[in-house]
Amino acid sequence: MTVLGYLANGLVFSSIIVLGSIGLSLVYSIADFANFAHGDTMTIGAYTALVTFGAVGGLGGAVLGLPYGFFLALVVGIAVAAVVAVGTEKLIYEPLDVDSIGLLITSIGIAFIYRAVIQIRFGSGFTRFDIQPLRPIESLVPYGVRVTLHDVAIVGSAAVLVVGLHVLLQYTDLGRKMRAMADNPDLARVSGIRTKRVKLWTWVIGAGLAGAGGVFLGLFNQLSPRMGFNLLLVIFAAVILGGIGSVYGAMAGGFLIGMINQLTPFFSNVVEALPIAPNWLETVLENLISIEYANAIAFVIMVVVLLVRPNGIAGEGAT
Amino acid sequence: MDLVDRRTLLKLTGGAGVGALAGCLSTTDDGEDGSDGSDGSDGSDGSDGENGTDGDDGSDDGGDSTDAYEIGMVDSQTGSLSAFGERNQRGVNLALQRVNEIGIDGRDLEIIVEDSESENQGGIAAAQKLVNQDGVPFLIGAVGSGVSLAIYESVVEGTDVVQLSQNSTGLNLTDFPGLLRMSPSGRSQSLALSNLITDDGYDEVAITYVNNDYGQSLTDAFVDAYDGEVVYNSPHDQEQQSYSGVISEMNSSGADAWLFITYQAEFATMVNEVYSSGYEAQFYGADSVSGDNVLENTPEGSIDGMKIVVPSAPIEEENYQSFASDFEEEYGRQPTSWAAYAYDCAINAALAIQAADEFTGAALQETVRRVSGPEGEEATSFEAASQILADGGGPDDVDYQGVSGPIDFDENGDPVGFLQVLEVQDHAYEGIDFIEG
Repeated sequence: MTVLGYLANGLVFSSIIVLGSIGLSLVYSIADFANFAHGDTMTIGAYTALVTFGAVGGLGGAVLGLPYGFFLALVVGIAVAAVVAVGTEKLIYEPLDVDSIGLLITSIGIAFIYRAVIQIRFGSGFTRFDIQPLRPIESLVPYGVRVTLHDVAIVGSAAVLVVGLHVLLQYTDLGRKMRAMADNPDLARVSGIRTKRVKLWTWVIGAGLAGAGGVFLGLFNQLSPRMGFNLLLVIFAAVILGGIGSVYGAMAGGFLIGMINQLTPFFSNVVEALPIAPNWLETVLENLISIEYANAIAFVIMVVVLLVRPNGIAGEGAT
Repeated sequence: MDLVDRRTLLKLTGGAGVGALAGCLSTTDDGEDGSDGSDGSDGSDGSDGENGTDGDDGSDDGGDSTDAYEIGMVDSQTGSLSAFGERNQRGVNLALQRVNEIGIDGRDLEIIVEDSESENQGGIAAAQKLVNQDGVPFLIGAVGSGVSLAIYESVVEGTDVVQLSQNSTGLNLTDFPGLLRMSPSGRSQSLALSNLITDDGYDEVAITYVNNDYGQSLTDAFVDAYDGEVVYNSPHDQEQQSYSGVISEMNSSGADAWLFITYQAEFATMVNEVYSSGYEAQFYGADSVSGDNVLENTPEGSIDGMKIVVPSAPIEEENYQSFASDFEEEYGRQPTSWAAYAYDCAINAALAIQAADEFTGAALQETVRRVSGPEGEEATSFEAASQILADGGGPDDVDYQGVSGPIDFDENGDPVGFLQVLEVQDHAYEGIDFIEG
């Protein structure tokens, strides 16, 4: 496989991580706690889409190898993930009079509840969307790029969502209020912003993006009750790498972590090819840079970046 | 936000992450145990509650002057391996009926069953109760390999008690010759796979295995046995969202035969990635990669031609078929290999008792291997084997052929395993061959 091929794989995987990490970072910047239930919010989105897609079917035509019904299911998945997150905020996080650490611990409990409910309904096994898997796009194979139309759809949809969020944050009233609140919630409130309402919208957007990420994760791989939770650690790494609380940092972090994860085989090829001076160093590197440590390598790079830039790529919570 | 906030957050997320991971670890551990007693392709996952029907034990024969012979059994009645426990109980109850129709020198056989909760600690407690309070000289147990070993090391080793595991397939049990087992070791699977791949004419193979004890030990045994070249050999972690790196490395290794020693979910992910990357190879797999979950979640035709080796009862043998029809009459379902192993444990125990001079551990140690060992006249049922002994035969005059295979424990306490080779044809598993391990 060529560098291009690895980059293409990395782009697809990054898209999913970016969708997850933006939501996590948004909620952190405004609700001010690390939401451990975020991964399971992704799972909720995925399973909602599974049920919806099962109910509505293909609806006739298809785009990029995906039936129209799937896009409807995607929208419903996003909506339900948002509703569940807002409901949890209203019923649990808001009435709880605890600090951000208390909320963090609570969110771990919430994560277990979400997962348990999904397990009760769907069992603990895995499943897939009822969509015919595709072969790689023929015209790209000679370049060593092996992606399917579904992968293109994932990257495209993620790009649309990310650009949409950018427009929302930069050019709309709500976006300005959100940025104001992230900078200084007290000042925002004094200047007449209804902070509670903005907070709810933050939940809607953050959880909605997570829901979308979950649906794409299900399409990319498979659905299981632990799918979101298993990705959560990587998403946290992306968010921290980008600079926690920063949306654009989360995008960059998600992109980097996803790329590094998928590029590991390429790195190990490079190390093998390079004439590294002391032999023992080459042996050590060859043993350490190997596919089984893909996540570990991503984390090491995260640590190195944080040593150089302690506040992450995007620095001080600049939303 | 300031630096302190971020630092606290990092600490907390780290701590919580570790905590959460610790949680997952314990659950995946259970899963591993499950598949190292491996689920295989047996369709009937016991979801019914009718395992407690204890047929006819003891008391109806109360007029007899002598009491029943009591032996013990540690089973996974609850916990992560409880499905195995239910299968075992059906097999054992059927075996007790067969034995007690005839009796052992006019006495009944009774099996006291204790629950291991599928955990080491529970298994040890159950075994201690059976050995120390009930004083049984013969102990059937347990399901999970870890539990069997824990019982052997902390309760049985150093005593005369005979321990015969019904379902453990872990490779390391081979290192304990005093611990017998009825189900074949995973090593026989590795050997069978290496022969299969060699016979199919591949002299290069790429392997990926699940990064735990099960995957590692099976792979090591395979690499030892395989004559060709292993051009790629790499572990992968469970429950990853993508294995495209592993797949592309296997592809660039140039091997045409790919061997997967992993679990169903991981394997299904890999197959989908192979399919959507357009790679082609001949697949081979250990029994843990086969199952309906894989068939349902992979594209039609994507694994056609794949060959898998699974432990299996010799289902074409006449004695197995009569066992299966009795089983179906009794329980309304097809038996699994795991029930057959448990059935043979009980029959083997009954024959050992009948052949022994006295009902003690030391005497049973003498006979337990010999009644089913290769010497002597072959007998395919308890009735026939018991008749040989009743006619004055010694333990070496009878060779009980179990419904799960010829048994024939070797010096390490492992049976001659019976394995079935499955091939995926039209996206379904078809048995194509049987191998003696």
